[in-house]
Amino acid sequence: MQRNLLGSTCCVAMLLCALAAPAIAQDITIAGILPQTGPSAAVGLQERQGVQYAIDEINAKGGIRGHMVRVNFDDNQGKPDQSVLAFNREVDLNNVPVIITGFSVPTLAMAPLATRKKVLMINPAAQSNRLGTASPYLFNTMPLTRDETEVLVSYVVRKLNKKTAAIIYENNAPGIDGRDDFTANFTKLGGKIVSDDPVPPGDTNFRPMILKAASNKPDVVFINIVSGDTLPQFNEQVMQHVGFPPIIGNTFATPAMSLPGSEGWYYTAIRGSLPADVEQGMKDKFGLKDVSVYSREYYNATKNIFAVVAASLIDAKKPLTGENFREELLRIKTFEGIAKFTFIGNTAVRNIDIMQVQQSKGVKVGEGTVE
Amino acid sequence: MLFLQLLVDGLVSGCAMGVVAVTFTVIYTTTQVFHIGHGAIYTLGGYVVWYLTEQGAPFVLALPVAIAICAAAGALIQQQLYNRLMQRNATPLVLLIGSLGAALVLENTLAAVFSPNILNIVTSWGNQTISLAGVRLSLAQVALLVSGPVLFGGMVAWANYTALGKRTRAVAANEFLAEITRLEPRRVHVVVLAITSGVVAIPGALIALDHGMHPYTGTLVLLTATIAMISGGLGNLVGAFVAAVILSVVQTVSTIVMPGQWSIAATFGLFVVLMIFKPTGLFVRSTA
Repeated sequence: MQRNLLGSTCCVAMLLCALAAPAIAQDITIAGILPQTGPSAAVGLQERQGVQYAIDEINAKGGIRGHMVRVNFDDNQGKPDQSVLAFNREVDLNNVPVIITGFSVPTLAMAPLATRKKVLMINPAAQSNRLGTASPYLFNTMPLTRDETEVLVSYVVRKLNKKTAAIIYENNAPGIDGRDDFTANFTKLGGKIVSDDPVPPGDTNFRPMILKAASNKPDVVFINIVSGDTLPQFNEQVMQHVGFPPIIGNTFATPAMSLPGSEGWYYTAIRGSLPADVEQGMKDKFGLKDVSVYSREYYNATKNIFAVVAASLIDAKKPLTGENFREELLRIKTFEGIAKFTFIGNTAVRNIDIMQVQQSKGVKVGEGTVE
Repeated sequence: MLFLQLLVDGLVSGCAMGVVAVTFTVIYTTTQVFHIGHGAIYTLGGYVVWYLTEQGAPFVLALPVAIAICAAAGALIQQQLYNRLMQRNATPLVLLIGSLGAALVLENTLAAVFSPNILNIVTSWGNQTISLAGVRLSLAQVALLVSGPVLFGGMVAWANYTALGKRTRAVAANEFLAEITRLEPRRVHVVVLAITSGVVAIPGALIALDHGMHPYTGTLVLLTATIAMISGGLGNLVGAFVAAVILSVVQTVSTIVMPGQWSIAATFGLFVVLMIFKPTGLFVRSTA
């Protein structure tokens, strides 16, 4: 009898302790479906670093309203078929409500699934025009290539009075989009395209295209080479040709700018800059010389969009579902982060600066926006 | 002038491609293995030179080390992978899968160790240019233009005039007969892989010097070299080299007359037409 009483007392005490203990907030798990192997892995790694740094920063400050954040990095090798497999794995097995994606073709492959399964996809860097209408659940935090190109062409034709252009572009979705946008905008303003030639993705031998572009003697050469790490080779090969026309490009061309040979070249830059301590922290953590635009944008998308929307949902006591994430993002609409950006539709409206390389540094010479 | 400059650029690329095609042909005719890993060995040559030059070694010292390492890697693949599979009577398909595996292991090891980024070999002279008859070339391109025919000639001379070369040709011609006449085909295979892997390190390093490399550089190069090997006439060293140069030149020069996006399709379209009308290849006489 005494033993029964003691046992019952212990049980009640344990139950009371359990009820009295503060509820442990559940972790929030999201996925980063990015290339970690294969030819696109170099950029994929930079993107991953941006996400990872933001998540570490959030968790170091106690998470989002007490909820720690976990991110599953799933390697899609930069391929659409692998992306679809990764998407299903993360959504069906791990129930993630939010996926951070990269690269146009993989993102486009996953977009119909995002619509069907109501999963929010945040695309911080891919710029193919088709991403703008691919899914109501896909949000692009950077302007698309058409927006950048429109601002660039307007400046080149109206301010610089350039009338003829050659195009060298990477032969993939964003590369071709850039070529088409540039051609449409340039000819609309009275310019003439004298040649356009593709470079296979990841190829570092640009000489035939450079030679052909130079032989047509254009006023400017527009480059739309998406694989930024091939651009040092591009610069070196351009330098072999004395008197090569000035080069103009968009954000993708940024790695070429300020390298030897780039003096006087023009490019667009999506406005945004990391806080100095974050930039230094990333350099220290990952042993980087410079923080790439990809790391910057992925950090921003994770810290200043995903985390803000998640906090807002938690405050409103709404479940963290993909549908709620989408509705809350559209309700908040304007975000402050590395820059101010607004979602009127699925693609952020942000300021686009025109930069010129002067004394090996990018100097702002113009600006514009496209809504 | 544009034509001349494009022609020379095509010749430069063709010389590198030609060496890959010739060495690949020697491997295939001798071992009957479709050695996809050869493309990764080509890339490995560039990576070894890059690593050593980053440590302060001059290019001319780094290159022999790269040759030695690639030769050892090639021999190792033959000895530990293909020979073992052959001992177990593996089918050609199994050998092909084994080769694909070796290529993937090598490429992804390079990506894991050195990052998948494009790496650039920095030397004081590699990107200096010279002008010859109005054609501007980097010194790396000049080195490719000179080394390609020299290596090709060396491979042909080795196959035709050295005892080991003759032994290799005997093994290639009839492995069974070579076995019973104690020519030790398995050992010959290892030596062939070592020599060809060492040779292919040279264009690998020079191309890397000229316009950088990434771990997967060798894949496309090997694809083109394979096409050159077949269109040149399977087993024919001269055919493989000449076809590689022709493919490369046509691909480069064709950009004058057609938009660049069509040049690769047109070049390989020519190959398809050639295969329809002459499936044995351009040069049918076997020399290897």
